[in-house]
Amino acid sequence: MALQANQMKKWLLYAVLIFISMAMVLPLLIMIFTALKGDAEFSSGVNTFFPKEWKFTNFILALQATNWAVYFKNSLIVTAITVAGSLFFNTLSGYAFARLSFKGRDLIFIALLLGLMVPAQVTIIPQFMIMKSIPLFGGNDIWGNGGNGWLDTYAALIIPELSGAFGIFFARQFYLSFPKELDDAAGIDGCGVLARYFKIYLPMSGPVIASLGILKTVAVWNDFFHPLVFTTKEAMRTVQLGLSVFQGQFSVAYNLQMAATLVVSLPLIIMFFVFQKYFVQSMLSSSVKG
Amino acid sequence: MRKLYHTSLPYLMIFPNVFIYVVFILLPLVWVCYLSLTDYNVLSPGKWVGLENYTMMLADDIYLKAVRNTIFYWVGTTLPTMFLGLLIAVLLNSKIRGLAVFRAAVYLPGIMSSIAVALTWLWLLNPTQGPINHFLDWIGLPSLDWLQNMKAALPAVTVVGTWMGVGFAMIIYLSGLQGIPDHLYEAASIDGAAGVRKFVSITIPMLKPVTFFLFVTVTIRSFQVFDLVYVLTGGGPVNSTTTIVNEVFKAGFQEYRMGYASSLAISLLLITMLITLINYKFGSKQDA
Repeated sequence: MALQANQMKKWLLYAVLIFISMAMVLPLLIMIFTALKGDAEFSSGVNTFFPKEWKFTNFILALQATNWAVYFKNSLIVTAITVAGSLFFNTLSGYAFARLSFKGRDLIFIALLLGLMVPAQVTIIPQFMIMKSIPLFGGNDIWGNGGNGWLDTYAALIIPELSGAFGIFFARQFYLSFPKELDDAAGIDGCGVLARYFKIYLPMSGPVIASLGILKTVAVWNDFFHPLVFTTKEAMRTVQLGLSVFQGQFSVAYNLQMAATLVVSLPLIIMFFVFQKYFVQSMLSSSVKG
Repeated sequence: MRKLYHTSLPYLMIFPNVFIYVVFILLPLVWVCYLSLTDYNVLSPGKWVGLENYTMMLADDIYLKAVRNTIFYWVGTTLPTMFLGLLIAVLLNSKIRGLAVFRAAVYLPGIMSSIAVALTWLWLLNPTQGPINHFLDWIGLPSLDWLQNMKAALPAVTVVGTWMGVGFAMIIYLSGLQGIPDHLYEAASIDGAAGVRKFVSITIPMLKPVTFFLFVTVTIRSFQVFDLVYVLTGGGPVNSTTTIVNEVFKAGFQEYRMGYASSLAISLLLITMLITLINYKFGSKQDA
């Protein structure tokens, strides 16, 4: 009897879990199947879950409808440089804060952490003005007047994101857990401060790089706010900005809209399935902060 | 020379980070405070106006509406997100097969951009052809123009925000649950405690730090809501879904009233800080 009750409980649990997962995934399934529907299916007034004819050419049509190649190129460049650059600068600083002693270290560290408290939207207006007046760029004179500075350039989307209080904090915590003897031994072998970072700390930073890399990739690829404010030229559009403009241009081509949405989300979805374990880890690493 | 190299090396190593931090966070933070006290509007150099922007802001019905909407979105997303996240985590924490599949299904919406999520829901909520209205039609309920309806638009946006956030809460809660040592439950079983009792007297208290962390994180995120609103409703109909950040964007980058927009931005900072401080006060009190 007890065994049977347990079995019942288990089936009930599965039923509830399947129901919840379906409810969560249903919008995505509808998005995918809508992307595959033919145009005629939207005028018929009947709405089926599966497409009546599976039109895989919709993806090609959606991609040809506007300059997606440019938007993808922009997003790839910005994401790749930002992720690589921020990982390098954050681990380098994290190592310095964890292992070197220098005047003002703790004070600078705390000042950096306070930056975590400031929402990006609070500083966006002065940030925009600073971008516009970077001297000697975009037609600006040496005082930063006359041109557009870094607006409409990759620099505006990359440079501010290279620093990251959370990244430094996380790298520092990780390096603090390394045994001090490691440094002493390396010191005896004549290994300098920088050599220790490149030869010992950086090669052992796998978990930090995986977690921070994933968090940063997701944040930069999905960012909409900064490209919206810092760029106006079509040639500088990222995929998220492109997607929102696409929606306006093809407001009734629902199948193409859904196809574009899927294509823009696909890189991260694939990454998620390939590195699921690391994704979960990276989400957890963000809770170190609490 | 060598000594100079050694004393300056650490500073050189942190320089890129610190420099970018100073130029793009610290300086803008000071600057936005200053701007909020001027009437700077791009065309003319700003003139000092004291607290005028703030008095204007507090008398502005649309701003007050935006604050109310943001608070509605905060409460409407934070509580369901955390409750559902905990519920799913508890269900997943029972040594079942296929954990990774269920976890992936629940988490998937969380890795999509808010723009992709908004486009998906624009279609789902489409007034004439969308699947949701079709379904309501099918079961005999009246359909609704969700995002153009003064009463329905903000709740709809809130549901979308919740759908996006549940996966994150679930993952954090799941790891919290896995961190609770088994012997606590075993001891309780020996004392004859049943499932619900164990949940109330062991699970909930042990999850307090996780709950606290999640509450702070989800709260801060929800106060920054912008992308979803921008695509789903643009703040309408008649400002019924506008949020604080939406008003900052509108005033700053569409009307170019950057001084006024700065005061709105400061209000966002103050509200976020206030809520965080209150959270910490309660959080640390309960820990002690």
